[in-house]
Amino acid sequence: MMSIYSVLIVAIALFSIGIVGVISRKNIFIVYMSLELMLNAVNLMFVAFSRYFHSLDGQIISMMVIALSAAEAALFLSLVVLLYKRKGSLNVDIFNSLAQKRDNL
Amino acid sequence: MTDLIFIILSLSAILSALYMVWVREPIISALSFIVTLLSLAGLFALLSASFIFLVQIIVYAGAIITLLLLIIMFLNIDDESLPKEPKKLLYMVLSAILVAPLDMALIKAVGTLPKKDMSIISNFGSVKSLGLTLFNGWLLPFELVSILLIVSLIGAIVFAKRKI
Repeated sequence: MMSIYSVLIVAIALFSIGIVGVISRKNIFIVYMSLELMLNAVNLMFVAFSRYFHSLDGQIISMMVIALSAAEAALFLSLVVLLYKRKGSLNVDIFNSLAQKRDNL
Repeated sequence: MTDLIFIILSLSAILSALYMVWVREPIISALSFIVTLLSLAGLFALLSASFIFLVQIIVYAGAIITLLLLIIMFLNIDDESLPKEPKKLLYMVLSAILVAPLDMALIKAVGTLPKKDMSIISNFGSVKSLGLTLFNGWLLPFELVSILLIVSLIGAIVFAKRKI
């Protein structure tokens, strides 16, 4: 029952839910959590394949992904605090400072 | 028994992930995401990755999501500054249609894998073997990750300064 097939189906489902969240939501926190969900789905795939091929490299890569997402969390959240102080909203559609001129900030 | 635990854990992971994407308030969404992360930690334990199980609980559910909850509470968002999403359901259905072909291709590709026994092995994925693999074959990526963490720390401090 618990074959590589079912584990990978769960990972694919979680990854697709993450894509749907990134595309369809406008709240920046939920977009961020959907990104983290996609990273976790990839982690699950790495761990499942590591078990399947009897090699520990997949688990090492998923540790690297966890460290990377910790670094990403620190940067992303400080950036969100900065943007929320300037713009006063959590809508991702108004976070377009890179597409505007300097005096529009 | 393992199958039952697997089904419960995957169902709770998928359902709480759906609720996380669906719900309007970010704090309820973050709490629901913790349920997803803990169920994924259980799945890692079922796949005999005991160290990843611990790291998932301590780093993800313990540090990252706690930091996220702290930031959400720190910003003290009132109901007006949440973005209004009247067409949320429509966008979700459209994006689900968009990712459906990708899912079909992936499921078809996964179905061609040969079957193997996936039951729990006791010695696979222990801290000792993982550490030996990490420091024998993956030393350079390990050091690069430490540099990455320091860079992101400096970046967060620079962002948090009053004037940039």
